[in-house]
Order: sequence, then structure tokens, then C-alpha cells
Amino acid sequence: MRRPAVVKPMEDVYPGAAPAAIARARAESLVLEYQVKLTRYLRRMVGDAEVALDLSQDVFLSAFRMLQADPRRELTAGWLYRAATNAAISFLRRKKVLRMLPLDRDVDRGAWRVDERSAASVDLQGALAQLPPQQSAALLLTSYVGYSSAEAAELLGTTSDAIRQRVCRAMRVLRTVMSEES
Amino acid sequence: MMTRCDCARAETLAGAIALDEADETQRDMYRAHLATCGRCRSNLGGERAIERVMATVAGARDAERWEPELRAASMRPRARYPVWRWIAAVAAVAVLAVGVRAMERHPAAATVAQRGTATEQAVARAVAALNTQTAPRREHEAESLTFASPGSGSMALALHLDGRAQGRCVVTKSSGNRVLDETVCRAALRTLSTRH
Ligand SMILES: [Zn+2]
Repeated sequence: MRRPAVVKPMEDVYPGAAPAAIARARAESLVLEYQVKLTRYLRRMVGDAEVALDLSQDVFLSAFRMLQADPRRELTAGWLYRAATNAAISFLRRKKVLRMLPLDRDVDRGAWRVDERSAASVDLQGALAQLPPQQSAALLLTSYVGYSSAEAAELLGTTSDAIRQRVCRAMRVLRTVMSEES
Repeated sequence: MMTRCDCARAETLAGAIALDEADETQRDMYRAHLATCGRCRSNLGGERAIERVMATVAGARDAERWEPELRAASMRPRARYPVWRWIAAVAAVAVLAVGVRAMERHPAAATVAQRGTATEQAVARAVAALNTQTAPRREHEAESLTFASPGSGSMALALHLDGRAQGRCVVTKSSGNRVLDETVCRAALRTLSTRH
């Protein structure tokens, strides 16, 4: 299973550089390394590419502000994923929409059309559209992003068993979606 | 007849199996529960069924081709938040600042970047970008390098160097000009190997 790399603290990486330059360089490298992965994760969570880009932008912006305040602060990939998860969940609550994808599995919306439309992708998105956000996050952080249940539990402030249970419930819905098709 | 508690435990076990985190003892416990509980057998399914369903997630992930780019997205005509433009400016400043600092230390690169051809400028920028990367390197691992290429968008290179400073370079994101890409890639690799 693929694991997201941990961003190393940069004390040794930019010796002698000015704090503001370190903050900028670290924010820049976070964007370069994680923008694709994090925005893909967000798009799965919210089901809409434009919204995912905006939320992702917000996450990197808060990371940048934190680094401006404390250039040597440790910022892990986990921090980014936690912030992204919170942003996605509060977006979904704020908009009072369960998911933006229609449940009839017609994903031919402009926002989604940028993606390949593999059967697996459509099935997954169909299931995510029906799941409570916490279950989507548990499923995606583990089998899509690559965290273990223990790591995902730490990110979401819960237990490893709770993550496994959410994954199980998400899997049941995914299974239903898949069998509807065949 | 199974109690609710047993079925809740079975869900946790099924989740562990789904994530390939279950050991043999846990798998045995799960099998034992399924053998006595028709509800979980039909709701959750056996280990093979779980793996088959979970393969969908990995399949969706591996088939994904969408390459969102925050800076490119900031150029969208209809930005949802004005903040897009702001971070694009921040990122541009960051790139500029890194490049300028590198050029201060490497006056030759700065001269070329000011006066040279587009290819020379691209090579100078790549070398300058490389020179700002002071992270410790590990052998056999690729070094990735992303930088703006004059007039033709950005270019990303993956430079692999082995223990004897022999290497190869791969253009992971093209500037749209293959000859330029190859020239820059080779020049960056040469720089990397002389510093190795
Ligand atoms: Zn049961």
C-alpha cells in the first residue's frame, strides 16, 4: 500500500536562510509535492473538481500562513490531509448537500468530466455520494491515500477500530453500488 | 443467534481485512463469525468478496489522470475566490526569490539568464533551481525539479543518479518543446553529477 511521505522539518535543509525565505520555500515545496494528491482526495470527498481546487487552495494558504508565523514549524502531510478533511466536511455541511453527484450514477457533469470515467472510478464515486462524510474520509484516507487505520485514526481524532468500522460500512455501500450494476 | 456486539466486532474485523491489516487470528475470528451469522455473511461477505470490492478503490485511484495545478487554476477566468490570484502571486514571488538567491551565488547562471537564448535561460534556471536544493540526497533516488521555462510554461524533471554519479533524466512535465526539454534535462543531470 502506498504511504504518503512525511514532510521533514526543514531546520537542516535551508541553513542560514532568512525566516521569510524558509517559509516561502517550504510553502512552495508543499504545494509542488502535494497539490495533485490532496486535490484529488478533495475532489473524491466533495464530488466536484472546482470546489476541490478551491478547498485545496484554502488548505495550502493556511499552511503558508502558519509557516509565515513560524517558519520552522513542523508541517506533515498528515496536517494537510487533516485540514483538507475538515474543509471538505464543513463544505458539505455548509452547503447542506450530501454530495454534488447525482445518485443515478450519471457522472457526465462538466466538473467531473475532466477525469477518466473508468468503471471503478464511477462505482467509487457513486458510493461516496451516498456515504456520510466521516465514512468517506475513513475509506479514502486509508485505501485511496494510503494511510493505515492507526494513522487515519490519529488524523481524524478517533480510534483505529472506529476507522475500520467506518471502512467496513463504506465498503458495504460500495458493494451495493457495484452489484446494482451487474 | 449472534449478539449485536459480535456483529459490531465482525465489522471491525472486516474493516481490518479490507485494509489488509488483519492477522491470521483475526481472519480466523472473522471466518468463525461468518460461519454462525447469516446476516454478516450476506451484508459483509467473505474475505475474497471484501478484497474484490476494495480493489475498486485502488482501481479508481490508479486510473485517475486528473492533474490539478493550483497555479494554472489561478488563471481561470472565473475564480471563485479572489484569493486564487493572491496565492498565485505569492508562489511567483517564492519562485523568483529562490531563483534570485541562487543566481547571487552563481553569477554565471545569472548572466546567461539575462542575456542568453531561450534554451540557455532554461538551462540556467534549472541549474539555479538545483543549486537551491540543499536537502540531503539519497543514492538511487530520483531528484525532482520543477521550474518555469521561459515562454513555454513550466517543466518538471526527474533526475536519477546512482552511486557512481551515473544517471538518467526523465521529463515528467514537458514545456512543450522536446529539444529544449532534453537539453535542460541533460544539463541539470551534468550539474547534479559534478556536485555529487
Ligand atoms: Zn454478525
